[in-house]
Amino acid sequence: MQINDTLIDDTFAEAFPMKATRLVITAHTPVWANHAAQSLTGFATSVIGCGCEAGIERELSSHETPDGRPGVAVLLFAVSTKELAKQVERRVGQCVLTCPSTAVYSGIDPATSRAPLSDNAPLGSSLRFFGDGWQISKMLGDTRYWRVPVMDGEFVAAESTVTVKAVGGGNLLLLARDTDAALRVAESAVHAMRRLPNVIMPFPGGVVRSGSKVGSKYAAAPASTNDAFCPTLVGLSPKSELDAEVGCVLEIVIDGLTDSDVGAAMTAGITAAAGFGRAGGVLRISAGNYGGRLGPYHFHLRQLAAGVEGRRA
Amino acid sequence: MSTTTLRVRNAPGFRVDAAQLLPGALAALTVAEIGRIVLPAGNERCAAGDMFDIERRQADSGGHAVSLLIEGDVPWLDRLGAHLAQGRIEVRGSSGDHTGFRMTGGELRVDGNSGDFTGCQMSGGRLTVGGQSGDFAAGPLPGDMEGMTGGTLTIHGKTGARLGDRMRRGLVLVGGDAGECAASRLVAGTIGIAGTLGPHFGYGMRRGTLLLLQAPASLPPTFSDGGQGFDVFWALFVRSLAAEIAPFSTLKESALPRRYTGDLAVDGRGELLVVG
Repeated sequence: MQINDTLIDDTFAEAFPMKATRLVITAHTPVWANHAAQSLTGFATSVIGCGCEAGIERELSSHETPDGRPGVAVLLFAVSTKELAKQVERRVGQCVLTCPSTAVYSGIDPATSRAPLSDNAPLGSSLRFFGDGWQISKMLGDTRYWRVPVMDGEFVAAESTVTVKAVGGGNLLLLARDTDAALRVAESAVHAMRRLPNVIMPFPGGVVRSGSKVGSKYAAAPASTNDAFCPTLVGLSPKSELDAEVGCVLEIVIDGLTDSDVGAAMTAGITAAAGFGRAGGVLRISAGNYGGRLGPYHFHLRQLAAGVEGRRA
Repeated sequence: MSTTTLRVRNAPGFRVDAAQLLPGALAALTVAEIGRIVLPAGNERCAAGDMFDIERRQADSGGHAVSLLIEGDVPWLDRLGAHLAQGRIEVRGSSGDHTGFRMTGGELRVDGNSGDFTGCQMSGGRLTVGGQSGDFAAGPLPGDMEGMTGGTLTIHGKTGARLGDRMRRGLVLVGGDAGECAASRLVAGTIGIAGTLGPHFGYGMRRGTLLLLQAPASLPPTFSDGGQGFDVFWALFVRSLAAEIAPFSTLKESALPRRYTGDLAVDGRGELLVVG
């Protein structure tokens, strides 16, 4: 399949079950909500080394938040509920509790969630101890809030956050003629994908250049460079899937609350990237997988691209 | 599904325990069987059929699952809705003491007045009194350690003494005045009072929130100024009251109340919010 002369590989992205939660961070102004959200989602590109993958889903207006203040929705993904709870406690404790004027709430409504529900993760119930006994709680409706005295007033946090069974590791590989083209296309694809709800692209700018494979020649390394897509290894690595025309490959990793969310984001990314076409430097669009043996979610590129508009061949 | 109607025919002249009259239990019985239910009445006993005309009507689809309608004043009928867990009870008149005793869910509405111990030790559901209630609403039984521990109790009119005594959780809203010792020994939970207060309010209050829409003549000496910086909580609190009765539903997020903390003679983490 070719769209605008860009080859869509006959392959699939392989994704995995993860546990996820959405946190709603509010603050006195959007600036401070963003400060907290940026800090909380920092150093959260990959579960391999960061404990979780996290990103800003979108900014929220004051009409969309529990306390009527501007806010930011962030998504966090981890390999288990236990690890997710650990990361939530650590990151909210260090990045939201500390940030002036902020409050934090659970952002997934169990009544409307399309993702299967999992255990709740502690939020205010563990952070309350910072109050050193001065903290107080309040049940409003079905939600318990903790009010922790801090120097700018009170830090308000919902007692716990709803977690769901989610999907992590959807991906697109953008094979371009050179770095200029690859960056331009990747930025455009990420921009299109960020318009969609329930997904994050956790790497810097949504893009990763160090795509990895499982394992290494070194026993201590759980993952190593994806030599099949490294342009400098064309003709050297027996696994190379590139030709001499490809000068730069960038990957976009997508985590979503459901597989349909990930699939929708991948379709948006393919649409944006294929829109540039071969003339725009996009030679191929591919995806990473492990032969389908490890992850239960398979996103076939040609199925996702079936409805994408463009000149076909 | 179905509505069972009990229309008062003869007041018995003594107090009757109505704890058996729950909508779910009655829905499983025929009208004749309901009439043969024997209710305790102190040292006496009486059959429901001697006091009520009983009627069964299938509700329209979309109505409450099961409901019990009592038409007429029944101030002699105690423990109505006791241990109610689901379904709906409506009283078109006044009810007796211990209305909604230990109810855990469902909805109980009394159009008229209710007696003493209304909502005593209730832990869930919604209890609404259109008129006024007696003493000890939302409190414990004498000697017990905890009063109300959940749910919502709304009293449109005034209430008697000891409102919310030893209450631990839940929401109580009073549209009228409250008698002496409101929120006494409050462990936690929320009480809102739109009218005036009797003396000794907040006595022994450990935690929880007492919301006053009229400033009291004076504060108890064991309450101190509660400072500022609670605007986020206030916004959440005001929003949570938006669906409740006026004037609580009309509170403004932007109009921060005056905050006091106490009772400092005990834990002292309770708060008194005075609007206006």
